[in-house]
Amino acid sequence: MTTRISLAAGLALGLASAFSASADSSDPIRIPINEWTGQHISAYITGSLFKKAGYEVEYVTAGAVPQFIALANGDLHVQPEVWTNNVGEIYPKAVESGDILVLGQLGLKPQEGWIYPPYMEEMCPGLPAYEALYDCAQAFAAADTFPKGRLITYPADWGTRSKDVVAQIDLPFEPVAGGSEGAMIAEVKSAVATKDPLLMMFWQPHWLFAEEEFNWVAWDPADGECVEEEGQTRGDACGFQQASIDKIANISFKKNYPGAFALYQAIEIDNDTQNALMLEIDQKGRDLEEVVAEWIDANEAVWSPWVEAGMAAKK
Amino acid sequence: MKLGQEGARQHWAWIALIGLTLAVLGARDSLDALMVFPDAWVLPMTDWFNAGMDVVVAQTGSFFRGVSAAMSVPMGWIRGLLQWMPWALTISLLALASFAVSGWKLALFTALATFYMVLIGYWPESMNSLSLVVMSVPMAVVIGFFIGTAAYYSARADHIVSPTMDVLQTIPVFAYLLPILLLFGFGPVVGLIASILYAVPPMVRNTTLGLRRVDPEVIEAGMMAGASPSQMFWRVRVPSALQQILLGINQTMMAAFSMVIIASIIGGTADIGWEVLSTMRKAEFGESILAGIVIALMAMVMDRMTARVATAQTPGDAPEGLWARYRYWIIAVGMTLAILLLSRTFPFLQRYPEAWEVYPAQMLNNWLTFVLVEYADTIKSIKTLSLFYIMLPVKMGLEQTVSPFSWGFALTPSLKMGYAGLALALAGWLWFCGRINVALLVAGLAILFYFGLTRLPWPSVMGVLILLAWQAGGMRLALGAGLGMAFLLLVGVWPQAMLSLYLCGIAVVLSFMLGTVLGILASENETFSAVLRPINDTLQTMPPFVLLIPFVMIFKLGDFTALLAIISYAIVPAIRYAEHGLRNISPEVIEAAKASGATRWQILWRVRLPLAAPQLMLGLNQTIMYGIAMLVIAALVGTNGLGQRVYIGLSNGDFGTGMIAGIGMAIIAMIADRMTQAYSRKVQPAAR
Repeated sequence: MTTRISLAAGLALGLASAFSASADSSDPIRIPINEWTGQHISAYITGSLFKKAGYEVEYVTAGAVPQFIALANGDLHVQPEVWTNNVGEIYPKAVESGDILVLGQLGLKPQEGWIYPPYMEEMCPGLPAYEALYDCAQAFAAADTFPKGRLITYPADWGTRSKDVVAQIDLPFEPVAGGSEGAMIAEVKSAVATKDPLLMMFWQPHWLFAEEEFNWVAWDPADGECVEEEGQTRGDACGFQQASIDKIANISFKKNYPGAFALYQAIEIDNDTQNALMLEIDQKGRDLEEVVAEWIDANEAVWSPWVEAGMAAKK
Repeated sequence: MKLGQEGARQHWAWIALIGLTLAVLGARDSLDALMVFPDAWVLPMTDWFNAGMDVVVAQTGSFFRGVSAAMSVPMGWIRGLLQWMPWALTISLLALASFAVSGWKLALFTALATFYMVLIGYWPESMNSLSLVVMSVPMAVVIGFFIGTAAYYSARADHIVSPTMDVLQTIPVFAYLLPILLLFGFGPVVGLIASILYAVPPMVRNTTLGLRRVDPEVIEAGMMAGASPSQMFWRVRVPSALQQILLGINQTMMAAFSMVIIASIIGGTADIGWEVLSTMRKAEFGESILAGIVIALMAMVMDRMTARVATAQTPGDAPEGLWARYRYWIIAVGMTLAILLLSRTFPFLQRYPEAWEVYPAQMLNNWLTFVLVEYADTIKSIKTLSLFYIMLPVKMGLEQTVSPFSWGFALTPSLKMGYAGLALALAGWLWFCGRINVALLVAGLAILFYFGLTRLPWPSVMGVLILLAWQAGGMRLALGAGLGMAFLLLVGVWPQAMLSLYLCGIAVVLSFMLGTVLGILASENETFSAVLRPINDTLQTMPPFVLLIPFVMIFKLGDFTALLAIISYAIVPAIRYAEHGLRNISPEVIEAAKASGATRWQILWRVRLPLAAPQLMLGLNQTIMYGIAMLVIAALVGTNGLGQRVYIGLSNGDFGTGMIAGIGMAIIAMIADRMTQAYSRKVQPAAR
């Protein structure tokens, strides 16, 4: 009996939250917090500005895959920082089904490609040009890849991009899957500590670049946008198509929070901002909320037009 | 003699299999279909799964969302309560409970372990994790109790329940994470549901087992006394089965703890599991260890407390008098009031001041870097040796591995002939000596090492496993094993399954050998045993994710690191069962052996190990289960295999792919489980 009652109550609760959505809902806007600092900064800046415009905000920890399901069904409302390079098929599927709205780019300019620590230039003098890799593959070799060089790629569930490029330009390197971001960074930390050879697919902005210095392998200039899946050859290799960093929202966010939606549309965060805050948090060990609050206080000129846009659209 | 005849039949079957395998390998260039299972024969099972899931979600989604909303209410209360309670109060109450069930030692351990969480500044996160366990264990216990009872009373129910529990326990949670998310939505409740699903099976098993083991005389006595069916159940059967049921609760609790991290991956928890994940993503070794220890300590405290209750003798008459009977409750109430009052005057009892925290992460990180730099050469040679001489030969065969770079010479035709001749001579000699099984083993291993597991024809691998199953458990088991492997072939995950088998196989063999040696030493030496025990406890309760970072930093990405990660988790049951089995041999037998003049080695090989054989086999069984469970986690350091398929399915939102890989792992686990159990039953009468 009691179970039936609580079940009915639960159903009612679920229904209530689904239908209570009229203009500018007073429910808190729920923003996911992922596992890396850069995203924390984007999320907290966005959240703080929502608060300035008079909204309640709730931050919720969420894994990279589950968050898309939650965003699609409305359990989470906005995610200001989605990296299109490492989300697998689940994100495009959710966008295609119409449950998630992409509002365009956040303003961060990402870079993706192969990185190596500067000491590799002594072992392989032709770097950063990718042509140099053909001759010094052995400088990058490890026991399990010898005589080929060892290239660490993105984890298998992020796709096979490096592998495709290696195959097309016939580079004597063996791609080794990175497994997970944590494992890739562990590999970097260990290689740098022991001055071991390292060539790895990576991206920035990333906090790792604040800790250690890395150089990027240089490619041939592309004709327009680089197409990475096909048509690259030695002598005409453009490397990788660059990822974009998107602001996304649940499809009903615009209807339920028109003011917040307008504000969200206006928000832009660039590399310099994120890097500066990231340095304070990761290197100096300061508190995330404190650092973001400081930025908010010091940059009113930057964000006040965004909040005004939001207030104007608020009903 | 029947056994002899069957033995001879089996020998000929093995020889036929070896002959056929060699014949296929000899003509492998023209027999593609036997080397690689043709794509055209693969069934589109993935699509069926996805289509089925879409229907289920569309039809039942709203119902499950309701369940989820209903469960989030009590979950919120418990979280709120644990967060509101001053840390000093929570610690005192837990210590009091430990004292009540066990004594001063456990109370002290509990107090220190929980104070650690306060000291490093993870108290709020720890309490969020605890609320997940506090919520999921009672629910799993109740659900498990009723399912277990149903399976006890109805043979038909048992036929459904038993395999379902097998699947729930062996299929990696990541494989069904997606459907759970789609059905139940998002947030801490989904983590709760995942951990209930995982924690129910031990409760079901122990309930059924306990009820079955009730002494028939007790039941008869109940009948004579004229008990009604419900009285029979609640007053006779359940109390008699109570110890087994309590053991089930203990195991359910441990299972719930092992789900803390998975629940955090789903999200919304802001708990210690989330801290582990975040620090792991940044590859912060020290930080992740410190957070991982919290989970390990919490699990150890709860394990000690519940295990103690489960093994305690059933109390006789309740003591007389109000005070004697309720003294712990009275003390608890008094303590609560006192601490609540005190924490008004001394706020540090409510919230531990940040300035008093101790957080030695940097020290741990520096220490790891020191090891890395100092022992770089040793580390590299360990890795190279194991890769060239063990892992690569098993994976791809000597044929592919031996080269001037790796072994220092090339595999010339005359060397190949020599290898074949040597293997043949050794096998022939053993056969001649009458050790036919060993001869067959040598021949089989020689083929495996030469060609490599992933390059053997699929019918041969199937044949080996079917024959092993036949020897262990007869026709039925052989049929089951054959069907299971046919599934792997037909859904098209055979190559990944072989990669998993290779990694897991080496890990299990090494874990079992090393674990047994350590177990033997521990059974002979009290000090060694005392040192080993906390290490085992930690390895078993620490979230295995935490082990990955140091291993990657030391040994780099790849199969070798994955192997070490699996071993460090799978070795624990091997050690435990070996020690337990050897310690439980009656001293009189050993004395008798000593009296008859046997040396230490003879006693070990001829007396103690054979007597402990059933326990060793159970240890092997658990080693295999643990090894397979680690495959998914090992995929995070870049292995290819079924574990990796699970993640690919997850991040592509492709339920079918992940689920099929998960079922594949469950099948391998179940075949291995049935085979080792059958062997264990076989050695049992021989040893008695």
